Amino acid sequence: MLLREVDYARPSTVEEAIALLAAYEGARALAGGQTIVNVMKARAAAPDVLVDLADLDELRAIGFSSDGLLEIGAMVTYSQLISSSEVEVARPILAEVAATIGDVQVRNRGTVGGNVCVSDPTNHLPPLLAALDATFTIRGPESERTVRADEFFVGVYMTAVGEGELLTKISVPPPSGAGDGFAGVTIGKHGTFIVDGAATVSDESVRIALGCVAATPVRATEMEQRLAGGDFSEEAVRASAEGLGASLDPPSDVHGSAEYRRHLAEVSAVRAVLQATGRRKGP
Amino acid sequence: MTTVTEQPVKTLERGYVGQSIPRREDKRLVQGLGTFFDDVRRHGMGYVHFVRSPYAHARIVSIDVSKALELEGVYGTITGDEVAIHTDPFFEMSVEPGGNISDYALAVGRVRHMGEPVAAVCAATRELARDAADLIEVEYDALPVLVDAEESLKDEIVLHDDAGSNVVWSGVFDWGDVDGALAEADHVVKIDRLHFHRFSSTPLECAGALVEYDKGTGEWTLHCNHQMPGVGAIWMAPALRTGIDKLRFVTQDIGGGFGNKICLHPQYVVLCLMARKLGRPVQWTEWRTDQHTANAHGNERTFLDVEVAVKADGTMTGFKVKALDDCGAFPRYEPLGCIIWAQVTPGLYGWQNIRVDFTQVCTNKSPVSPNRGYSRMQHLWLTERIIDIVAAELGFDPVEIRKKNYVKANQMPYETPNGCVYDSGDYAAALDIALELIDYGSIEERRKEAASRRKLLGFGIGSTLDSGTNNFGQSTLLNPDLQFSGNNEAASVKLDIFGEVVVTLGTVPQGQGHETTAAQVVADILGCSPEQVNVRRGHDTWFNSHAGFSGTYASQFAFTGLGAVKGAAELVREDMVQLAAAVLQAPVEAIELADGFARIKDGPEEAALPFMALGAIVNANNAFLPPEFNPTLNHRYVCRPYFGMVDKEKKTGQLTLTYATQIHAAVVEIDPETGEVEIVDYAAVDDCGVRINPQIVEGQVHGATAHAIGAALSEEFVYDEDGTLLTANFYDYHVPHAMDMPPLKTGAMESPSPVAPLGAKGMGEGGGGGIHCIGAAIQDALRAAGGAIVYDSCNPPHRVWSMLQDPEATRANVSVVSK
Amino acid sequence: MAAPASSYAITVEINGESVELEVPARRLLVHFIRDDLGLTGTHIGCDTGNCGACTVHLDGEPVKSCMLLAVQADGAKIATVEGLATDGELTSLQQAFNQHHALQCGYCTPGMLMSASALLERNPRPTEDEVRYALQGNICRCTGYVNIVEDVVAAGGGRA
Repeated sequence: MLLREVDYARPSTVEEAIALLAAYEGARALAGGQTIVNVMKARAAAPDVLVDLADLDELRAIGFSSDGLLEIGAMVTYSQLISSSEVEVARPILAEVAATIGDVQVRNRGTVGGNVCVSDPTNHLPPLLAALDATFTIRGPESERTVRADEFFVGVYMTAVGEGELLTKISVPPPSGAGDGFAGVTIGKHGTFIVDGAATVSDESVRIALGCVAATPVRATEMEQRLAGGDFSEEAVRASAEGLGASLDPPSDVHGSAEYRRHLAEVSAVRAVLQATGRRKGP
Repeated sequence: MTTVTEQPVKTLERGYVGQSIPRREDKRLVQGLGTFFDDVRRHGMGYVHFVRSPYAHARIVSIDVSKALELEGVYGTITGDEVAIHTDPFFEMSVEPGGNISDYALAVGRVRHMGEPVAAVCAATRELARDAADLIEVEYDALPVLVDAEESLKDEIVLHDDAGSNVVWSGVFDWGDVDGALAEADHVVKIDRLHFHRFSSTPLECAGALVEYDKGTGEWTLHCNHQMPGVGAIWMAPALRTGIDKLRFVTQDIGGGFGNKICLHPQYVVLCLMARKLGRPVQWTEWRTDQHTANAHGNERTFLDVEVAVKADGTMTGFKVKALDDCGAFPRYEPLGCIIWAQVTPGLYGWQNIRVDFTQVCTNKSPVSPNRGYSRMQHLWLTERIIDIVAAELGFDPVEIRKKNYVKANQMPYETPNGCVYDSGDYAAALDIALELIDYGSIEERRKEAASRRKLLGFGIGSTLDSGTNNFGQSTLLNPDLQFSGNNEAASVKLDIFGEVVVTLGTVPQGQGHETTAAQVVADILGCSPEQVNVRRGHDTWFNSHAGFSGTYASQFAFTGLGAVKGAAELVREDMVQLAAAVLQAPVEAIELADGFARIKDGPEEAALPFMALGAIVNANNAFLPPEFNPTLNHRYVCRPYFGMVDKEKKTGQLTLTYATQIHAAVVEIDPETGEVEIVDYAAVDDCGVRINPQIVEGQVHGATAHAIGAALSEEFVYDEDGTLLTANFYDYHVPHAMDMPPLKTGAMESPSPVAPLGAKGMGEGGGGGIHCIGAAIQDALRAAGGAIVYDSCNPPHRVWSMLQDPEATRANVSVVSK
Repeated sequence: MAAPASSYAITVEINGESVELEVPARRLLVHFIRDDLGLTGTHIGCDTGNCGACTVHLDGEPVKSCMLLAVQADGAKIATVEGLATDGELTSLQQAFNQHHALQCGYCTPGMLMSASALLERNPRPTEDEVRYALQGNICRCTGYVNIVEDVVAAGGGRA
């Protein structure tokens, strides 16, 4: 409801931002603020310093790398993602899913970087980006590195971004004929997810990632292997999901028991795969 | 047998009454120029933050405020110990054991629900008050927690030592001969357990007040949003050891009430004490989290051992039930809930033999207080569940069995087994309208079509009554020593010096458009236009006329509020006509009020006096009037509805005067893989008698439907075993947003009330029709997938999925014994 | 580059007027608007950024002012409900709300109007679904949204 005392800075370059984050131990990056301001209102966490990334135009770009990766700056808002022609052409599932996050006001401020760095198990983008095999570029005072999803998402509210570091961009490979799907059950329309699943299906590979069932997105590797044969009929997809729920240890809460979440995981995975299958583009 | 006293109804010729005139309140509200209490500022004011218990049940070992007081900008603190010295416990409504509970404005020695206020701190800014609260150190000794009403009954853990038991009240209501009916019945349907869940209307504006204390006169002024100040004062004044007139309540615009702003007296008493102690105005705004954890939940009621007597042809002759009501940590207003359901004992049906064994207990949950539909909604849900479960078990059609058992239009006014009189209504006709709106004939076709998309389609009806204009004498059924009976509301109307018409209301509107509808009524009586009628905003106990029961609650404005306005306007009219007759030298019968003039009917144009002339004569130029003629053009009127006395022995009597009808119908589709429920069609038919402003009436229907839909599908206050509220914010406690609402079709009927001054019945609460029809529709949909019985009033996806997985568990709840 | 500070002098343009004020870094934009600037039309209805009663325009986009710090608005243009009408002359949307009973208690109304007016600027003839989507971040507990949605569609010249 009301924040503790905090210091605030608004750097004008990424280097300045990183320097601030490195210099102050209790410093946190302020991106869209749609999560961190809530957290600070509840006094569940109280950073000493907020480093506002608002002026870092470098982090707001959407474009393509020379090898065809779709590069999305960490400060790109959901609204920007939704109206981006690059995203529409390259990987429209990102815009589709972003369009269901919260509401217009939240989408005008909330950022893709914020969504992944918070690493809340119920957030939309982590399982989606895991399925898309996205990579995450992290810059520190001395160096820059790029990691995959399974290395980026470490735990609840924990990512590979360390103190004094900043996520600068997310890179998504081109689909190359793959279809993408996303399905789940929310608390009310466009509400928080209870369970969700994302899938990318091409003739060569299947990637399926589930959210809300563990601290970080879970790849349904056995299901992926069973589908390697290339049979994506509904019967085959349903059969491939057998045992998926039993392999998970999801939480129980007011919105669903562990048993319900195990079941929803199978349902979400199947629906995401079927949707992705239907969206494959031929060679 | 109750004698019905029909008041002679002078139906107004419909002029402005009956028209959907746009509201005058809107002009300020759409510009953001409304004045809600948090908009009010006072020089030197301090902001208050409450320190609240993190435990559901604990002994308070110590409270140390010293660090908070050292923080610069902090004005002072207050704790339970001080409250216990400076105030007396609040008056309790119930008899023993509940009547012995000690309820103070802050926790004294013990906390009994998570979020209970333990101390308060006041500082120069909101942020500082919040910071200071973190510095107040409270040491607790945790105690075992009770979150289940059936456990609570055992009295193994007792919450209130003064009471010695967790039982607040218990009593048996027995009318007719239910044992005989059950013995004679062709079928007895037994339902072991039904549960009506906790939720509330969660008005968007939270509670709060800005309180000033005048040291010279010992008077407090509360700029607040209390929706029933009369009752608030009855609680607060004795506690503060002061007179009721020393508490001035001023409300202006209020952001929704729905009953949730009736029990604000504990926090307000703290503010009064702090204003006096600190010598400055103090302000408190409730946080959303606090409203969910510690303000007011609606009734939570478990129905056990239901037995229903049914004849072979589907006529239901009676039922019995044990009702267990969980009122949370402090009963406060809530013991009345033990009685109030009896306003609608048989629901819409002709049962003659009914027994209800009612018990209310305390638990370590948020206190319960009236919530839209208060206590009748829970009981009506029971009757609707009974109808649909009996229909399902015995193979009756839900529409036919209702029509068979509904009270018929030609039986109106209809006296129920406990002496209430349903004033008017045609339930079967209203049901037909709902069925037509929902295209009932196509249901089976739609069911097949949905099945082809792998969805389960279901149809359900919810029939309810909004009983309005309470006889407060029913409180004596709760506690024979209570000195309450009848009802009243006041209003005043005057013609000002320049002939302006000014109205003050005793009611406390929170969005119901009272300013507009009052103006419509006055305009018709005085023969002017509504624009010429100035209705003062809100309620001020010093400046507005009011009476003991003044407020806005319990669906009675159309009767008592507008009845008072009508009465006062008619007295002013009488003055105006007499005065005009004297001035124009014409007989009184020749005078008419029209177009803003008092004039001779069909007389010459000059024989007309504008209101300004009348106002000027009485206020400034009255010497020529004969001594015995003393018109004041300023009248207060108290509308006092007629009731019989309540029979405390038999627990019978006319408990409410008007009964508005709501028939709702829903069509749902269930995704059997996830348990998600989507409402694909919805119809709400309302009959509230004469509609003063049909657009406003329809708005209430929309709003009540949205509340019911939220309650039916997602809104639930859920506690874990430690007494933590798991749904304390709008993420987890999901209310309908714009995309959650189905297409709504509404229909209206007007069965004028023979007893209401304008033929208009109160209707703002609705009856929770959506909860009933959605539950019924879910049950209907599940017939094709295991036939589970809906046993809970809230059915979010996980519960529906459980019913799909294990329908037998719910079916084991129900059994039929047939001859 | 300045070191982090706990308070700042910020300059904002609010409803067309420039204002300069010193604010603590921790102050929420909604409290700045209500308490520091005295514009109480913007309301607070929840603690978690769900209800939208606090919706204002920041550089032309609807945002929830309870989810922003005042310092973040330094240099920005803010529009609140008080800036919609000109000299008491209501906008056609405000009039539509009045004509067709789109408000009851009026508490959510400022936020609704800010979200709706932003929609109509981007999309002058929205469909009902588009209106519901645009208002998804504004909770109302009185009206069931029925008349609100109809009125926004009608204000755009469409029919619900």
